[in-house]
Amino acid sequence: MEAPATHGPFRSVLSGIASLGKGLWITFAYMFRPPITVQYPEQRVVLPLRFRGRLVMPIDPEKGTTRCTACMRCVKICPNHSIDIEKQTGPDGAPLPKPAKYLYNLGTCMFCNLCVEVCPFFALVMSDEHELATTDKGGLVIDLAAEKHRLSGKKATWWQRKFRGADPED
Amino acid sequence: MNVTFGDRDEMSPSVTGITPLPAAQSTSDEFLLNVGPQHPATHGVLRVVVTMDGEVVKDIVPHIGYVHRGLEKLFENRTYEQIIPFTDRTDYLSAIANNFAYVMGVERLLGLEVPKKVEYMRVLMAELNRIASHLLWLAAYGLDMGAFTPFLYAFRDREEIGAMIEEASGGRLTTNYFRVGGFVHELPKEFFPRLRKFIARFGKAVNELDTLLVENAIFVARTRGVGVIGRERAVSYGMTGPCLRASNAAFDVRRDMPYSIYPSLDFEIPVGRNGDTWDRSWVRIEEMRQSLAILRQAMDGFPEGDHRTRAPRNIEPPAGEVYSAVEGPRGEIGFYIVSDGTRKPYRVKMRKPSFSNFSALPEILRGNKIADLVAVMGSLDLVVPEIDR
Amino acid sequence: MGRFLYDLFYNSDLVLNGWSAAAHQSWAARGWPPVILDGLLQLAWAVAAAVFLALNALFIIWFERKVAARMQIRRGPNRVGPWGILQTLADTGKLLIKEDIIPDAADKAVFRAAPLLVLASTFMLFVVLPFGKGLVAADLNVGLVYFLAISGLSVIGILAGGWASNNKYSLMGGMRSAAQIVSYEVPAVLTVLSVALLAGSLRLGDIVRAQPSYGYILLQPVGFLLFLIASNAEINRGPFDLPEADSELVSGFLTEYSAMRFAIFFLAEYTNLFLAGAFASTLFLGGWRGPLLPPVVWFLLKSYFVVFLLIWIRWTFPRLRVDHLMELSWKVLLPLALANLLVTAVLVKVL
Repeated sequence: MEAPATHGPFRSVLSGIASLGKGLWITFAYMFRPPITVQYPEQRVVLPLRFRGRLVMPIDPEKGTTRCTACMRCVKICPNHSIDIEKQTGPDGAPLPKPAKYLYNLGTCMFCNLCVEVCPFFALVMSDEHELATTDKGGLVIDLAAEKHRLSGKKATWWQRKFRGADPED
Repeated sequence: MNVTFGDRDEMSPSVTGITPLPAAQSTSDEFLLNVGPQHPATHGVLRVVVTMDGEVVKDIVPHIGYVHRGLEKLFENRTYEQIIPFTDRTDYLSAIANNFAYVMGVERLLGLEVPKKVEYMRVLMAELNRIASHLLWLAAYGLDMGAFTPFLYAFRDREEIGAMIEEASGGRLTTNYFRVGGFVHELPKEFFPRLRKFIARFGKAVNELDTLLVENAIFVARTRGVGVIGRERAVSYGMTGPCLRASNAAFDVRRDMPYSIYPSLDFEIPVGRNGDTWDRSWVRIEEMRQSLAILRQAMDGFPEGDHRTRAPRNIEPPAGEVYSAVEGPRGEIGFYIVSDGTRKPYRVKMRKPSFSNFSALPEILRGNKIADLVAVMGSLDLVVPEIDR
Repeated sequence: MGRFLYDLFYNSDLVLNGWSAAAHQSWAARGWPPVILDGLLQLAWAVAAAVFLALNALFIIWFERKVAARMQIRRGPNRVGPWGILQTLADTGKLLIKEDIIPDAADKAVFRAAPLLVLASTFMLFVVLPFGKGLVAADLNVGLVYFLAISGLSVIGILAGGWASNNKYSLMGGMRSAAQIVSYEVPAVLTVLSVALLAGSLRLGDIVRAQPSYGYILLQPVGFLLFLIASNAEINRGPFDLPEADSELVSGFLTEYSAMRFAIFFLAEYTNLFLAGAFASTLFLGGWRGPLLPPVVWFLLKSYFVVFLLIWIRWTFPRLRVDHLMELSWKVLLPLALANLLVTAVLVKVL
């Protein structure tokens, strides 16, 4: 389809003035429609279930601990090398399938969700926390194993359904 | 305002790339204007050094590289799955188109066929992305022109699209939704009702934006006949997308290098007449309407099926090379992937539309007045991270 | 008491004349020279005008922000004070505490004087403005000419600001702004001349009295439109704000100004907005005339209605390029204004 041809001089003057009037009418009509502002911080937007906020390693309410077995898959797949794991050592010095430290660098994380997808044990979730500004750069490296985060609400149900095999979004 | 001014002798040739003429030849009216890296109208960190003779532009030397992140080198050290989030960020306004081009390339290397439903989902996402990108272009362009209100109207609709994509993928801008073989998740249940409502409402919104900005007499006076580039010249610069189609060259990757289900969809390619700034604006508004038509068709013909096909866990394509191109909102987005049989590509070269479009700027503006710089740069719809990668 | 209040609002000219006569009498009875009393009375008018200027600025900035926001489907300021009415106070406070920067190589005396020159020309226009029946500081018999002359005076302040900034592009911006104001004076003068023809006088009080209560707008629709556009361009606003736009290349004349000096330019701009509305309503909409409500209220209502029109225009249209701006003035508005004048003159003679 081709662009419309320009009008002759008389018609373009008329259509020009008409366009100005139409524009004025549009903005005038909008004055009487309700504004779409969400008054933050008193009102907040409802976040979808799949929202990718900060990474957390929640406590499984049935097990009482996190589900991580320190398999290192998330470490390998993170494109920014934002995850570092130290395995726990047993009494004989052999490594246990549990993380002693799970260091997550919030500063370099790009919230891509690859770690969550690759984890075969559903140990990781991207929570709803998005108000992450801080004045202390050191606080950006978080030990998720020590944090013992507990999910709540719809996200918790969603997460738990995943490893129980049910459709998480039913 | 961060604009620095300097006379000819103050700026060394290594900085400007221009060797100053000997004193006898230079006219006293010529001077250099530096539209600095930080400027509200350059849509990113871009520097343009303009040689002016009074009000008329004699020459433009663009300086790019302020946002160079070494992405192509980075890709050589990342596996094929790890590259996908980075492709989002090469051009964050057309993240899905970038994902699409890359993933399609890897699938061609692997010889992987995706189910029909995945193709439909990909087209849905790509067209939503196109509408969102054009809405942002319109908003920013209106702001450059001094029309503050279309910005908010456009962003109201962009908000709705962002919310839909966020429900599906978890991210609004950098979605990371595509995977080799399909998608991460299925489309959520609320997606189609929401999309239906959006489609019903959006036709009127496009008409409103059209009337308010593009058909406005003041806008027309400012953009008609300004920044013209002819058809042959546009093609010779490698321009693609709306900038090329405005110059009366009907080239669209969806038609001429077809991919996915586009051959079975019925839509028109808007083509401009004169190659001026107004035509580039008109083409984008029409493309939004055509994308709406595509969305309707894709939604109506949406098949059943799986959202992801079985892809190998470790993606190791056989040695070879592939070039896959997609029609992004700014033009042809191409990924040239060279595989050496390992889990990481040997080379990924990205062909980005803004780079070629921007290279035509000196030719477009030579002989025009400096007051048109803002109008023309806005109409080219540049995204600087895409230029620099 | 009720009678007094009624007179104060509805017959303010009689009340003021009575007070003035009584003051003159008692002054003369004490043997003091009457010229000092006149001076004091004018000083009182000046103080009243200054108070009004300040209050008006507070109101009109809030009004613009709210109207603009509603047109843009958002709310506008609503945190500082109920419905955000104290927002302007907060912004003024912020501007007051900012550092006052004067560029090293700037012409310091001129730099300091420029905002005051612009504000002075704005302030001087309050002299002839009829706020109500008899509520005029000085109803000059050449009030209209005075208005046109003084509104062109702001050019001096703008040029001074552009020059004193020692910035090549501020100077260019200042010159462009000056050229714009001077160019749009011409159609404004011709349009206003048509109104003077209809009213048969140059005194603003007479012009208001000669109009029906809804004003000359039905007799001069084209004139009203032309005056609106010309005023819009003269106050450097709306689609004509290229000289001070920040997304254009050439920075405007007030780039180098910060803190209180910028606040004075800002104040002058918004007061000019009110004055444009006030004079448009005085000349074309019937000024303070109207049934039922007190004249002052009518005057303010009509002025703010025109102010609303100017706000509406600003937030709808994109900016005009400099050459289009000049073309519009000389090639479109001027011939239309001349034609309007011709038709008005013929009709006044014939009817």
